[in-house]
Amino acid sequence: MTAGDAAADAGDRRKAGGATILRYRDVVKRYGTFTALAGVSLDVHAGEVVCLIGPSGSGKSTLLRCTNGLETLDGGDIEFEGTRLARDERGLRTMRQRMGMVFQNFELFPHQTALQNVAEGPRTVLRMPTAQAERRAAAMLAKVGLADKAANHPAALSGGQQQRVAIARALAMEPDVMLFDEPTSALDPETIGEVLSVMKALADEGMTMVVVTHEMSFARRVGDWVAVFDAGRIVEQGPPVRIFDAPQTVRTRDFLGHLGWAG
Amino acid sequence: MDFDLAVIADNWRFLAYGVLVTIVLSIVSGATSLAAGLAIALLRLRGPRWLRPIVVLYVDSMRAVPVLVVLVWTFFALPIVTGLTMSPFTAALIGLTVHLAAYAAEIVRAGIESVRPGQTRAAVALGMSPAQVMRRIVLPQALVRMLPAFGSLLSITIKDTAIASVIAVPELMRQSETVAGQSFQPIEVFTFAMLLYFVLLFPVTRGVDAVYRRVAHLGRS
Amino acid sequence: MTLDWSVVWQHRDALAAGTAMTFALTVATMAVAVPAGIVVAVLRMYGPPPLRAAATAYVELFRNLPLILVVYWAFYVVPILTGLGLSALATGLAALSLNVTAYNAETFRAGINSIRRGQAEAAMALGMSRSQALRRVVVPQALRRITPVLASTWVSLFKDTSLVSVIAVSELAYVSMQLRAQTFRVLEMLTAMAVLYWLLGYPQAKLVDWIQRRYQVTE
Repeated sequence: MTAGDAAADAGDRRKAGGATILRYRDVVKRYGTFTALAGVSLDVHAGEVVCLIGPSGSGKSTLLRCTNGLETLDGGDIEFEGTRLARDERGLRTMRQRMGMVFQNFELFPHQTALQNVAEGPRTVLRMPTAQAERRAAAMLAKVGLADKAANHPAALSGGQQQRVAIARALAMEPDVMLFDEPTSALDPETIGEVLSVMKALADEGMTMVVVTHEMSFARRVGDWVAVFDAGRIVEQGPPVRIFDAPQTVRTRDFLGHLGWAG
Repeated sequence: MDFDLAVIADNWRFLAYGVLVTIVLSIVSGATSLAAGLAIALLRLRGPRWLRPIVVLYVDSMRAVPVLVVLVWTFFALPIVTGLTMSPFTAALIGLTVHLAAYAAEIVRAGIESVRPGQTRAAVALGMSPAQVMRRIVLPQALVRMLPAFGSLLSITIKDTAIASVIAVPELMRQSETVAGQSFQPIEVFTFAMLLYFVLLFPVTRGVDAVYRRVAHLGRS
Repeated sequence: MTLDWSVVWQHRDALAAGTAMTFALTVATMAVAVPAGIVVAVLRMYGPPPLRAAATAYVELFRNLPLILVVYWAFYVVPILTGLGLSALATGLAALSLNVTAYNAETFRAGINSIRRGQAEAAMALGMSRSQALRRVVVPQALRRITPVLASTWVSLFKDTSLVSVIAVSELAYVSMQLRAQTFRVLEMLTAMAVLYWLLGYPQAKLVDWIQRRYQVTE
């Protein structure tokens, strides 16, 4: 039994009873001679907030990008809601409609207003009539606290506001899981809080979330399950209490120590 | 040396017609070369693999051959090959479009490639098809980013219409030549023509720059 | 329709001479327009206000005029204005030089301006004078940005020499079109002209691409 073995820790898992939304089995991803993921296994259950932590380049973001097919696998399997990840573009597109992704650099569409950005998915992908899509978009913007910024272009918004709009844009598709790729890494310290609040509120509502983050206090307080990455593998995974207060492996202790994590 | 403006006054209608032809030829060939350039760039970026070297050959060839040569060949040689006769204006339109579309294609290609890959990833993550990504997310931003380069190209287009005088298109250059030849007053006529061209061209790049400054944020991702 | 391509070979000497003239015009124009462009750029950036305005006006004027008109204007107007009886060749050269100098001046100015001001400031903080900072820090970096643009201007100039054909300078375009008139072999001569320009211009365009790749700015 290794420290990264998910099954052995199942007893500590609060929400293991829910449906398995995502199942990663021995996922391998290579870029030329560099192995970004060297056999990653992980389960994500309904309503769970799973946080992926670890040093830069350890494969966390790569795993996320493999989840919605932005990267292709070189080995192993990913199952989404019980079905293997599609290999063809059309199948992937359909699955992506049920996954929301939030990027480190927000990636709002600069030529559209906040409202148009949020409405874009429903309009273009779900083929909703514009008026209906915009109504849904307005509701989503209100949900993240930016109803008054609906007519603004991204250039007129702060980083934190842009990221909240990005979250609204992903939510507008009514996904079954939200994938966050270092959502606060590109933000000024003052604006990190507003984004984390939105994410916590989402978690409290029961959204299934996979979050790649360096915000350890967020993982500690909001996370239900934490996986520690190093060099393309999960070296340890478990409930945040255990990971942060009583890490089992040297790698985890080193990583947290380097961050100055004092609990 | 005295400057006799009467020759301008006497022939102003003739010269004004030249200005009209210049403007019409510029706008029409500008539009057709833009449309063709867009199609060619998209073909190069997203079309079948075997088409790419052909497109590259076409674009590089237009960088190698002078506009004069293209216009002269289109007007004098193409009719021999096709058996169709065409008016000087048509020949100029075809020649200019073929030549300028190559440059337009490069501008479009550079514009599209300058859009951050993250934008495409975000659009794909929402579930958009490649065609939707291009149409709704990449192209709109790319078009904004290309504005300054297109302003330059429009300026070049207007200047290139003057070369069409060589195949007797009655644009401003040709009309000026005719008046200068008939009146034996080249100084007044050509200086006036220079003034007209300057007034046409100077606002074009300035105007495009001004428009770009107002919309630049729509293309900055 | 019978084609006789042998006329091209028969007149290869004339075509070769035309080609040589095209090259000569290009080289001569650049030989004038590069130093002149530097002078105008320096005047525009560092000169006293009246000279600065004059330099700017010159650049803006010639960048906003069709070259073919400048050629005609130079041919008809310059002799009268200056009283000099210049040959068509000299006139053509003058027109080309006036035009390319303006573009070069803009290239040099943009190249120098694109170097972050901090570079010059860092150099002067070390104790260099402004001209030392320019010479040893700014200009070498600016040259990396300027070279690809100059190469591109060269290729444009090479093509633009065809425009002096309208005042009967015996470069390639003029020679080709004269031969067309003499031999009545329109398709053959015009196609030969196009092919010759293509053979000359294509490698130059590819060379410019290589230069642009090699001097790619990575900052």
